[in-house]
Amino acid sequence: MTVAAADRRGSVRDAYLVGRQVRYEQLAFWRNPFGAIFTVGFSVVFLLLLAAGGGNSRVAYLGNIRLIQYYVPGFAAYGVMSACFNMLGIQLVIRRETGLLKRLRLSPLPTWALLSGIFVNAAIISATQVVVLFVIGRFAFDVHLPHNYAALVLALVVGVLCFTALGVAISTVIPNQEAAGPIISIVYFVLLFLSGLWFPLNPGSSLAQISAYFPVRHLILAVFAPFQLQRGESPWAWHDLLVMAIWGVAACVVAFRRFRWEPRRN
Amino acid sequence: MAAVAVSVEGLRKHYGSLEAVAGVSFEVDRSEVFALLGPNGAGKTTTIEILEGFRTRDAGRVQVLGFDPAERRRDFRERLGIVLQELAVEPMLSVREVLERNAGYYPAPRGVDEVIELVGLGEKADARVKTLSGGQQRRLDVGLGIVGNPELVFLDEPTTGFDPSARRGAWDLVRALSGGGTTVILTTHYMDEAEALADRVAVIARGRIVAIGPPRSLGGRDVGEATIRFHLPEGAPRPELRVAARDGTGGVFEIATDDEVGVLHELTGWSLERHVPLQGLTVERLTLEDVYLRLVGDTAHGAPGAGDVGPPS
Repeated sequence: MTVAAADRRGSVRDAYLVGRQVRYEQLAFWRNPFGAIFTVGFSVVFLLLLAAGGGNSRVAYLGNIRLIQYYVPGFAAYGVMSACFNMLGIQLVIRRETGLLKRLRLSPLPTWALLSGIFVNAAIISATQVVVLFVIGRFAFDVHLPHNYAALVLALVVGVLCFTALGVAISTVIPNQEAAGPIISIVYFVLLFLSGLWFPLNPGSSLAQISAYFPVRHLILAVFAPFQLQRGESPWAWHDLLVMAIWGVAACVVAFRRFRWEPRRN
Repeated sequence: MAAVAVSVEGLRKHYGSLEAVAGVSFEVDRSEVFALLGPNGAGKTTTIEILEGFRTRDAGRVQVLGFDPAERRRDFRERLGIVLQELAVEPMLSVREVLERNAGYYPAPRGVDEVIELVGLGEKADARVKTLSGGQQRRLDVGLGIVGNPELVFLDEPTTGFDPSARRGAWDLVRALSGGGTTVILTTHYMDEAEALADRVAVIARGRIVAIGPPRSLGGRDVGEATIRFHLPEGAPRPELRVAARDGTGGVFEIATDDEVGVLHELTGWSLERHVPLQGLTVERLTLEDVYLRLVGDTAHGAPGAGDVGPPS
C-alpha cells in the first residue's frame, strides 16, 4: 500500500470517527430531558408566549413591522447561543470535572475528532432550533421568511463559531460543575436582556449603545438583517459579523491558553 | 518483540516547589503484573500519568512499549488500556453503547459482548450508565480499559469501592489479562491485592522508590525477623531461653527473632522436658503491610492527609 493510499484510508477512517462521535453526542443530548427542554424547548416556548402577548403590535423604529417578525429571527439567534454558549459551556465544565475529558484525552481518539464531535453536535442543535422556529413562525404566525438565505447562513455560521468559542472560553474560568449552570445562565440572560431579545431596542437608546459592545445583540441583528423588509437595508450585516468575529478570536485566545483536560478540584 | 514493556530512568516531575517525582527508575517486563504502592501524594499517580502520556516529565528517560509517551502518538495510545480513579462515563448512554463507541477508537478491539461478560455486566448491558451502582460503573470503567485489546493496561486503584466478590472478579480478570500476555501496571492501597496479583511491587514514598521486588521478599521479609507466639497453662513456669519472651496481650508470650529455627528448637525442647504444653503456638513473618508501613513510615511521616498530588490549577 502506498503512503498516499494509507493516508486516504486514514482520512476516511477519521471522517467516520467524527461521524460516530456526533451520533453518540446526539444520542446523549436528546436522551437528557433537561438538556433538550432547556435548550430546544425554551426558544419555542418563549416565542409562543411573546407572540401570544403582543406579536401583532408594530415596531416603529424597525420599519413598522409586526413584533413577531422580529421575534422569529431573534429566537433563532437565541437558539444558537443556547446550544453553543450555554449548553456547550456547562457540558464542558461537567465533563472536565467528572473526568470524562481526561478519559477521552487518554483514549486513541484524536483531540480534534473529540472536539469536532462536541462542536458539530452544538451546531446541529442550533440548526434544529432555527428550522423549528422558522416553521412555527411561517405557519402559525404568517411570518415572512428571509429574502436572502446566503446572508442568513453566513450569520448563523459566524454566530455558531463565535459562541462556540465563547462557550469553551467561559468553561475554562468556571471552577466546578455546581457553579457552571448559575454562572453561565446569569451571564447569558443578562446579556440577552440588555441586547433587546424580548423588547427590541431603539437603535439610539443607551441600552443599545451598551449592548453594542457585546456579541449577543450583534447575532440577533445579523440574523434579523436577511429578513429586512425596508427598502435600501442590506441583508448582509457586515458590522455585526465583524464584532462577532473579534469576540470569537478573543475567546479562542482564552480557550487555547486556559483549556484543561482534568478536573480543577484537588 | 522486546521483553521490556516499560523502562523508566531518573524520572522527575515537580509542581511549583513541590517535587512530586524525585528520581524514579524501574523496569516492567512484558506480561508482568507490576504494582505501585505508596501513600496518597507519594507520586504514584503522577508517575503513571507520565507513562500514559497525559503529563510531561521534567527530566529522565521513559520508554513505554518502545514509544516516548510524551509524544502522545495515536498508535501508542491504541496499545494502552487505562482505568482511572474517577468514575468517568457518560450517564445517558447504555453500557453497550459506551463500549461500542470506544471500541471504534481502536484498530483491533475486543468484541463488546466479550468485554461485557468479562466485567460481569451481562444483565446491565442495555441499562443507562446513570442507573448503575458505583461498583457497576467501576466495572464498566475497567471494561473501557480493556475494550481496545491493549498490550499494556494501567489500573489506578481498580477495586476501590468493590464488594469482596466483585474484587475477586477483578482479580481474576487481571490474572486472565496477564496470562494472555498483557502487561499490567496497577496502583492499590490494599496489600492483599498487591500480594495476590503482583509479580513485583514498588513502594513509592515522597517521590522516590524505597523498595522494589516480589511481594513475598519485599524489604527482606522472607529472611528477616519472625515472631513466635504461644501461651502457657495457668501456674506453668516461664521458659528459660537465650532470647527473652515478652508478655504480649492476653497472657500471650511473644519472641521476636531472626533465628526462629534455633529458638523453636530450644522452646520445644523445654516444653517436652518440662511437660508444659505450648498452647496456640504460631510463627509469623512480617506481613506485606508491616513491611510497607515500615518503609513508608521511614520516609513519609510528616505528610499527613496530603491528597494525591496534582498540578496546581
